[in-house]
Amino acid sequence: MLKIRGACKSFNGVKILDDVSFDAAKGGVLGLAGPSGSGKSTLLRCVQKLETLDEGTIEYDGKTGFMFQDFQLFPHMTIMRNLLYAPSLKDKKKNHEKRARKILKDLGIEAKAEEYPNSLSGGQKQRAALARTLMIDPDLLLCDEPTSGLDVATIEDVILLLKSVNKTGVAMVIASHDLDFLTKISDRIILLKEGRINADVDLLKCNVIHFSNNDPIEYLKQYY
Amino acid sequence: MEKALYNFLFIGRGLAITLQLLAGGFLIGVTIGTALAALRYNKICSPIIKGFVSLVRGTPLLLQLSLIYFSVPTLFGVKLSVLAAGVIAFGINSSAYVSEILRSGIESLPKGQFEAARTLGIPKYYMWKDIILPQAIANVLPALVNELIDLLKETALIATIGGMDVMRRSQVIAAEQFEYFIPLCMAGVYYYVLVLFIESIIRRIEKKKSYA
Ligand SMILES: Nc1ncnc2c1ncn2[C@@H]1O[C@H](COP(=O)(O)OP(=O)(O)O)[C@@H](O)[C@H]1O
Ligand SMILES: [Mg+2]
Repeated sequence: MLKIRGACKSFNGVKILDDVSFDAAKGGVLGLAGPSGSGKSTLLRCVQKLETLDEGTIEYDGKTGFMFQDFQLFPHMTIMRNLLYAPSLKDKKKNHEKRARKILKDLGIEAKAEEYPNSLSGGQKQRAALARTLMIDPDLLLCDEPTSGLDVATIEDVILLLKSVNKTGVAMVIASHDLDFLTKISDRIILLKEGRINADVDLLKCNVIHFSNNDPIEYLKQYY
Repeated sequence: MEKALYNFLFIGRGLAITLQLLAGGFLIGVTIGTALAALRYNKICSPIIKGFVSLVRGTPLLLQLSLIYFSVPTLFGVKLSVLAAGVIAFGINSSAYVSEILRSGIESLPKGQFEAARTLGIPKYYMWKDIILPQAIANVLPALVNELIDLLKETALIATIGGMDVMRRSQVIAAEQFEYFIPLCMAGVYYYVLVLFIESIIRRIEKKKSYA
């Protein structure tokens, strides 16, 4: 379980996160919505400890995996080596290749195993980055703008893919400015604005209560 | 004609020294330079390395070479051969330049490469060895080759402490035969052919680079 209390973070005197507090349920998919610059990426990076909070706490009692907006695959390594590199440092004796092949196959890019990242399309890089993160067995996956630069059809694939990963017990926090995408994949959406939580909706439970016309997107847009 | 051939071969025997200085100096330069470039990102080491690089770049190589050859024996009581002093001096000097070259290569990498390594739990040593430095080196390969070529030409300074390299041998011939033009041109040919050779190897390596 992820527990955030009073998280504050400033860059150059500008408050990017301003007293953010929430708990995220085990196994759930939490969407982080909000306009550009609202602090979504910063919050994800704080959870991953790529940034340190100025104030407040973030507690998480499991292993996190991080998906960068621009993937950050290692360009001088084949996809297979991208997947195998970190796990083989942890456990030299174990043969990780079989698992890597299975993950690549599940994600539909097994044919790309021996290719270099730059020969892959955006959607394929996304899958490769997801595969690399899954190799370290995270129980919480942090995804920063997983749909950026992808076309509509590929975004539908990403939704199916992330959902199938979630079914294996991996919880997710997904930052995206794309409300349409977020409402399709999340079971809860927290909307940030200028570093504060501006709306927090449970898409599983509260449909009828919250949404005029039963449309979560219209509802959330009021808080943008 | 026979004398010219004799002179040419006599000068060519200096290649042994020249090449040993080049190989030894560059090996040390790249090894230490790489370590320095990475350690620049360590808070404690950074100011020391900055000072070292500034000092090496701010003084003549001839001074550094003389300092090592003439002062190390009196300061530390170890007698250095001309070759050893040369390899050490050229190695240390080169390490400063290599570290600066590599630093620009490291800085041209996206910050996300460091972060990706961190999020995957890759220990720092391995991150530098297998993720950062291979990419950084590939980025600055042409500059590193220039450094190798500079070093080749700088090895001629070994003549000042009596090393019988290509340069020194051409001077010996010149002094003996009161003829400067031909022997010095011969030495020039050796250096120039070596430079062309290094450049051709690098072009081949660059072509092979399988990504980017
Ligand atoms: N390392 C940093 N240094 C300075 N400013 C930063 C840094 N990281 C983020 N910011 C600033 O914080 C603000 C919020 O950024 P971000 O969290 O990326 O928002 P979002 O992901 O919602 O678009 C932006 O204005 C950005 O310029
Ligand atoms: Mg962002």
